[in-house]
Order: sequence, then structure tokens, then C-alpha cells
Amino acid sequence: MSRFFKLLFNELMKIFVRKTTWVMYGILTVIVIAGIILTITTDQIETEYSDNWREELKQENENLAEENAEMKRGSEESGIDFGVTYFEEQINKNNYYLENDIKPLNYGAWQHVLDNAGLVSLISLFTIIIGSGIVSSEFRWGTIKLLLIRPVSRTMILASKFVAVLLFALFTLIFLWIVSFISGAIVFGFEGFNPSIVLQKAEGLVYVPLVGEVLTEYGYNLVNLVMMTTFAFMISTIFRNSSIAIGLGIFLMMGGNMVVQIFSEYDWAKFILFANTNLRQYETGNVWIDGMTLGFSITMLIIYFVVFIVLSWVFFNKRDVAGQ
Amino acid sequence: MSQIALELKDVKKTISKKEIIKGLSFNVKQGEVYGFIGPNGAGKTTTIRMIVGLMKLSDGDIKVLGKSIQSDYSEAAKNIGAIVENPELYPFMSGWKNLIHFANMYEGISKDRIREVVKLVGLEKVINDKVKKYSLGMRQRLGIAQAILHKPSVLILDEPTNGLDPAGIREIRQYIKDLAVKENVAVIISSHLLSEIELICDRIGIIKHGELISERSVNDQDDSKSEETKQKVLLDVEQVDHAEGILKELEIPVNREGGQLFVELTRQEVPGIVKQLVNKDIAIYTVATTKVTLEDEFLELTGGNVIE
Ligand SMILES: Nc1ncnc2c1ncn2[C@@H]1O[C@H](COP(=O)(O)OP(=O)(O)OP(=O)(O)O)[C@@H](O)[C@H]1O
Ligand SMILES: [Mg+2]
Repeated sequence: MSRFFKLLFNELMKIFVRKTTWVMYGILTVIVIAGIILTITTDQIETEYSDNWREELKQENENLAEENAEMKRGSEESGIDFGVTYFEEQINKNNYYLENDIKPLNYGAWQHVLDNAGLVSLISLFTIIIGSGIVSSEFRWGTIKLLLIRPVSRTMILASKFVAVLLFALFTLIFLWIVSFISGAIVFGFEGFNPSIVLQKAEGLVYVPLVGEVLTEYGYNLVNLVMMTTFAFMISTIFRNSSIAIGLGIFLMMGGNMVVQIFSEYDWAKFILFANTNLRQYETGNVWIDGMTLGFSITMLIIYFVVFIVLSWVFFNKRDVAGQ
Repeated sequence: MSQIALELKDVKKTISKKEIIKGLSFNVKQGEVYGFIGPNGAGKTTTIRMIVGLMKLSDGDIKVLGKSIQSDYSEAAKNIGAIVENPELYPFMSGWKNLIHFANMYEGISKDRIREVVKLVGLEKVINDKVKKYSLGMRQRLGIAQAILHKPSVLILDEPTNGLDPAGIREIRQYIKDLAVKENVAVIISSHLLSEIELICDRIGIIKHGELISERSVNDQDDSKSEETKQKVLLDVEQVDHAEGILKELEIPVNREGGQLFVELTRQEVPGIVKQLVNKDIAIYTVATTKVTLEDEFLELTGGNVIE
């Protein structure tokens, strides 16, 4: 087992010694900070509630209702129906606080982390890039010839590479949490160790612990990350070319939902990977294709994952390493 | 008693229906330096790739210290160190990190051992620089360093002196000989530099179109020339025309190349001829037997290289 950790160490060393990796971390930091600046300057979020919070909430609701009415007018004129708007949802939440006599949380570090969950797609992008290069680069550099002549099975080398990619994603995720949390705490304040907030769920408005919500929100986003990274990893192992893998990986990550929409009339659409990567659909009850269940989606995800891994393994193990 | 370190038994390789290696067999003993030569496209690199496990065999078997690379890969691979074609290392890492990386793929290689190897190949000063800043010769040395880190019993070098300066070539040559003699390592060298091969190897195998067409010892070469066989003898004399005439009178076929004469003589004939020339007042500067160079022999054996 210690052998495997040494291989893993090697792979992580090769990832983190390179400048491109640190550029990724730089981009992530810049985006988080830009987000904060945007939030402050546009004053989108009511960050402070004083002891007089009931009055403040009512005032906020009036403002929101006004904006909502304006928006409704706009949508009638343009003929586009926005459905339940962000404003209405916010008004409902505020009413929930008032009815249940709960003082709403001041915006702070935890909520900032939650709001940055969308950045997981950026981490997915980075991880796809790393995962696409980890095997094919060895071929490009010619170092594969020095890698595969050691008393270590190819299976072990491939496994260490795959795990290293997942660890990269995990480290980047933790980095995002830390940066979001610290910057949030400095700029907006700290909500306490186990704060709760009101959220819109399938069953209506609920008052839930924020930490749990952070974990589920990120968890849902991670499904797509893992699946697309594994896919890109497979493509790069089969074709030994990172450009194809990055291209396909990013295209499918962005366009996956569209693929499902195009084929959504057909019954077999539910077998498409992307119909199953959004597990949140079962929580909100807004299931894309009738007849799909959480169990079905998880089974499909596991099947796809295993197929990707097995194909990578077969191609990596069976192929001769001939000259370029 | 030197044991067989590397054994190839009827090795065949077919790539896309074309048989590239057609039943290759040879052994390399411990402590022996084996030269593996052949024209372009003969199958040297393909054979080496099979020995180190980069390519699978189509037929036959390869054993390292008796362990088959097919059924006991990890045990066999432990005892192999290699550079396959150019030593391509990670350009974005330092030489040191590169060595740490490869040391991690074995059990129990200490930092001291790595330092020792760095010293051996003379890279102490630049070992913390990034490999992309290295010259070809420095990379070659680092390539050798990674190949010997784990003290392999079989060392395989494809063009090991490629890109080295004369001092470097001599150093590496000496080092390879030391490895063979002192540490009993079997070294297989593939090279195009035939004079180089001749200087360093104990035995030579010549491969053409995927078959071993000749195999022999380098040192045996002189012994095999027995007393009766004719050798090419060079005569460097003052009065070339005169001497040529005398030799023709003696009915000895003579070749004139530049200002020198070449005759085919057996060993016993040489003193008599010299005496005759001296008696005729010919001033002789040099009498030397010229070895048939490996190059001549190589070209003779392999013919013109027609790439199949
Ligand atoms: N991947 C491959 N697919 C098909 N044929 C190949 C492949 N690799 C090598 N060959 C063929 O195998 C033969 C032997 O090639 P190899 O590289 O082993 O020769 P070599 O002796 O190393 O030559 P050189 O002296 O030029 O390095 C050549 O005819 C080559 O065309
Ligand atoms: Mg070659």
C-alpha cells in the first residue's frame, strides 16, 4: 500500500510543481474576490439586520414587491413569463422569518461559501484539464517510456493517476471553501458556528442548518465534476491526446443538458448520462423525464463511471508503447 | 562463474501483420557488455522495448535473472534499468525531483543513494536546476542516473553516448566498464557508433531485418586469426616505387594507397619480407597489421541497408 502512496505523491508532485496549476488557483481567487467586490458595490444583499429587524424586513419586502411589479410589467410587455421570480421567493422567505419570529441571519462567511457553490463548475473545468493531461502528457513528453519500465503494474500507475486527479479536485474545492470563508468572514462577518437559514425546498420553505446546506449544494455539483473528469480521463487515455479530451469534456459539461433536452421526448433519453447528473431534480421534485427515480440515476451514474474506468484500464494496459 | 543475466528465447514480434522480429535468441552474462548493432529499422529499439516491458511479445520469452518478463514482470523489472532512445525526463522539474520521482517507484532507495548517483554522473552542480535548462549531454547523464538508481543487474542503453563531449564519452565508457566488472552488471548497448561499440563491448550481436545474423566476442577476434590466415599489412617506406617492384618480383599482390603499400601476408611471412626489403636498402618507417575494422565487417555482413 505504501507503494501506492508513493506513486500518488509522484503524480501530485507533477501536478503541483507546474505553473499552470497555480494559475488556476490564482484565477479562482480572483473570481471569488471579484464576486465580493461586485456584491458590495451593487449592494445586492441586505447584510445587516439590527434589533429592529422586523421593521427592516417589512421595508425590504415593500422594496422587493415594487421591483417585482416592475418586472412583471416588463415580462407582460415582452411576452416572456419568468414564473416565480427571485423577488417573490425572497419575499416569501422574509415572511417566513416574520411569521415564525426568527431573526434572519446576517450575511457572512457561511452564506458566502454557499453562494460560491456555482464555482464548482470552474473547478470542474480545471479538473477536466488536469485529468485530460495526466496520461497523455506522459506520451507527449516521452516520459511514459521511463514510467512503464518500473516494477509497478500499469494498473497501479493508472489508478494513482486517477486518484491524483480526484485529489486535485478535492484540494481545489477545499481551497475554494477556505478562500470564500475567510474573505466572507473579513468582509461580511461570521454567522456563528452552526447557523440556520430559511430555504426553498420541494416541500416548501424550511429552516435548516447552513452547514448541511453547504455540503449538499457542493455535493450535487460534484457529481457532474466526477463524471466529466472521468470521461475526459478515459478519452485522453484512449486517444493519448489531451486536446480532444479537454474539448469533448468541456463541450459535454456545458452542452450536456442541451443534449438531454433535444432527445427528451424519447423514452431512452433517461439513459443519457446528463439526464442523471443533476440529482437535485429529485429534491425539488422537478424531475426532467417521467419515470426517473433517485435510485435509477445513481445506478446509471455508477454504470457510466465503471464503463469509463474499465475502458481507460483496458486501453492503458493492453497497448504497446511504440515510438511516436 | 558468470550466470546468465538476460536471456531472449525465440522472441517474435508482429505489428499489424508485419513480422518485425523473427525469432531472436541471445544471452548476456553477468558482468558482460553486449553490443547490439544493426542498420536502421533492423529492430533494435523494438527488441529493447520488449525487454523493458513497453511492448508485449508476440511469441517466445525474455528472462531477467531467470524471471520471465511475461509471468513475473515485477520481479524482472526490478532488475532492469534502461534508457530507451532519448532520455526524456520531466522538463519542468529539477534533476533532483526527477530522480526522487523514479526512486519512488522502487523499494528502499535512500536519499544518500540518489546523491551518490548524482555524483557518479557528475551532475552535482546543476541537479537543482530545471531539466529544460539542461544541455543534451546533461540530460543523457541524468538519463543514466535514473537507469542505475536501483542498482539493476541488467542495464540497457540505447545510444548512451549520444550528445556527450569526448571527455564525457570517456567517463561514461569507463563508468560502464566499472559497472560490468565491479558490480557484475550485464550491460546491453545499442549504438550506431561502431568504433565506440568496439571499445566498450565484450561481445557483439548484429541484427538485420529482425534476425541475429552474427554474434561474436570482440577479444576473440585476434585469436581467431590463426597463424595461417592472411592479414592486411601496411608498409610505410621511403622508396615506394622501388619497394613495390621488389614485392611484385616476389609475386606478392600489393596495393598502393597514397604513399603507402598494403600486402596480404600471414604472420610468419612478415619477417622474411621485411628482411628482403632491408637487404635491398629500402628505408622502412612502419610495418603494421591493420585490423579489419568492425565497420568493414558490419557493412559486409549487413550489405547495403535496404529498409524493408
Ligand atoms: N509501431 C510500429 N508499427 C509498425 N511498424 C513499426 C512500429 N515500430 C517499428 N516498426 C517497424 O519495425 C522495424 C524495426 O524498427 P526499430 O525501431 O526497432 O529499428 P531500429 O533497429 O531501432 O532502427 P534505428 O537504428 O533506426 O533506431 C522498422 O521496420 C519499423 O518500420
Ligand atoms: Mg532505434
